[in-house]
Amino acid sequence: MDVPGLQMTETKAVPGLFKRNPPIAGEAEAIEAAKNGDAEAFSKLYALHKRRVYTLCLRMLGNVSEAEDMTQDAFLHLFRKIGSFRGESAFSTWLHRLTVNLVLMHLRKKGLNLVSLEETINPSEEDAPKRDFGSRDLQLTGSVDRVALERAVASLPPGYRMVFVLHDVEGFEHNEIATMLECSTGNSKSQLHKARLKLRDLLRQPEPLTTQTTGLKETAV
Amino acid sequence: MTKNSDFPDFDYMTPSDFEKYLPDFFANGDGHVSTDPRLQTFLKNNPDCAALVRDLEAIADQARKLFEPTYEPSDAVWSNIQKKMKL
Repeated sequence: MDVPGLQMTETKAVPGLFKRNPPIAGEAEAIEAAKNGDAEAFSKLYALHKRRVYTLCLRMLGNVSEAEDMTQDAFLHLFRKIGSFRGESAFSTWLHRLTVNLVLMHLRKKGLNLVSLEETINPSEEDAPKRDFGSRDLQLTGSVDRVALERAVASLPPGYRMVFVLHDVEGFEHNEIATMLECSTGNSKSQLHKARLKLRDLLRQPEPLTTQTTGLKETAV
Repeated sequence: MTKNSDFPDFDYMTPSDFEKYLPDFFANGDGHVSTDPRLQTFLKNNPDCAALVRDLEAIADQARKLFEPTYEPSDAVWSNIQKKMKL
């Protein structure tokens, strides 16, 4: 069954996209076999992509149970729709787009109106980033710790987190995000900027963050 | 791409102007404001703005590294998928 609003078509391949999502050894063969109903090949695709899809869901939703449900839904949709993958973009890009659209539909079903980000999921005044440049002695040291950033992202207000994850982590362009979130390109740029400012605020306060629990369980990699 | 004419004079804009246009500066080009030749004089004359840019670029650079997956779903997810695939 088709899910209304779920964009399954491939967008025009963007130069550089394969640099971020390089083909994985054995993936192309597994895709072709899975298109012909080979369950073992589909199992291989799941093994190759489960962590990226789950991590994406978890970052967007901030909830382990919902993230697992959406991971399951994403792969079931993949199972039904893999025949429509034509290889015009990297497979993982296509799969991530499918996943993002499913998560956004899930959020809309829950009543989260994503049409007007600024009006609906903009944070309260106390969550908003500070508007000052900050004194130079408080600046970050030019490097950002991955674990600290992961925690800070998890603590962002949902609207900020969504745009930050889609743009800065997943690499989607503002026009793509605007289409997915049904907002303007300017809104996407503005939300991203506010998200980065908020992260800067959070990262300059190391003590509370290091003791904060995010609810995200990291695997040993 | 935003045209230069959409922005104030790069060398003489105020920090407030800079803050207003910063999302567009980041959205244009390769996303690295600190290396934008149009902004070099302004950033040199406004070290707090330069520090802000460095911090935001460091955050965006580290965010790209988060693309590599960190978390793993439980085994129950695959079991459920297999069950539903057989239906």
